[in-house]
Amino acid sequence: MGSITNIVDIDSELATQTPQEILQYALENHDNIAISFSGAEDVVLIDMASKIRKDIQVFSLDTGRLHAETYRFIEKVRKHYGIQIDVVYPEASRVEQLVKEKGLFSFYDGDHKECCGIRKIAPLRKQLLTVDAWITGQRRDQSPGTRAAVPVIQDDKAFARPDDKLTKYNPLANWTSQQVWEYIRANNVPYNELHDKGFISIGCEPCTRPTGPGQHEREGRWWWEEATVKECGLHAVNIQK
Amino acid sequence: MTTAATKITMVKKIFADGSPCKKCGEVEEKMREAGQLKQIDRIVIADEADSESEGMQLAAVHNVERAPFFIVERDGEEPAIYTVYFKFVKEVLNAKTSEEEEIEEIMNDVDLDFL
Repeated sequence: MGSITNIVDIDSELATQTPQEILQYALENHDNIAISFSGAEDVVLIDMASKIRKDIQVFSLDTGRLHAETYRFIEKVRKHYGIQIDVVYPEASRVEQLVKEKGLFSFYDGDHKECCGIRKIAPLRKQLLTVDAWITGQRRDQSPGTRAAVPVIQDDKAFARPDDKLTKYNPLANWTSQQVWEYIRANNVPYNELHDKGFISIGCEPCTRPTGPGQHEREGRWWWEEATVKECGLHAVNIQK
Repeated sequence: MTTAATKITMVKKIFADGSPCKKCGEVEEKMREAGQLKQIDRIVIADEADSESEGMQLAAVHNVERAPFFIVERDGEEPAIYTVYFKFVKEVLNAKTSEEEEIEEIMNDVDLDFL
């Protein structure tokens, strides 16, 4: 696995399969693979994976700013599935420096990227250096503007070790929010109590809010920032394959 | 340093309305300031308004959906594709980048709501 052709071929094959089949493929093809668990509805990945393999690796990023409900939920999931969840933390000195220089809510004055860089991306990079593959709960319907083309499997160039490969699986890519919730209810999967309070997308407490009827889940995240269109993509409609 | 047998192509994008891609411009400027542009053999345009433009064709051939990207061709080897600037300069040009720069680039490309 690793060449572009292989990844594309595998993606074509897996794209028509169920999340469980995709997970099975991922878990069978990598020993050192971890699920990234955000403390939200991506819990379905843990439920599905635990039915395939008992020794699944799971990690969560504790930014230090999560809701109390999310901390309770992570603990609930740990006990419910009898698994170890590696809770990963940002580097204290970098958080201290940010807070000292810009305060506790600097993201409201500028954008969330600096804070997310310190609290999410840096610890995520460190964690991903330890694995060969990872699994996320990314779905295409989470952000039609920026995530419309999320593949089921991808060669993760941003987080790979130097001169090495990192494979990223998105087993829920083709599922809708409704399908995820049908699975949660049908399988009695525990879920974050914030969902009962109107939260769809769940992240850090200051940067997440409930959404109202008709609002897209993205409107509950970083709402004070102007919606911007990702401009790095080469629009697929224009590419003759 | 790259060897004489290495050919590097940079593909940058212009939007369908003719405006330049901001990130492509930033990367190009950064490379200019660092003296790295002279190590690029060709700069090719991917014109979103013209699917036949060389850059769009290269994107299709190499299954790339982001810009800018770099194609590194070495004799007797499959072309290597780099869509992440810091990976490219570190692994191909042997340049140093700071963790802050690398995180900043990732932040601009990654949607974080799933973490």
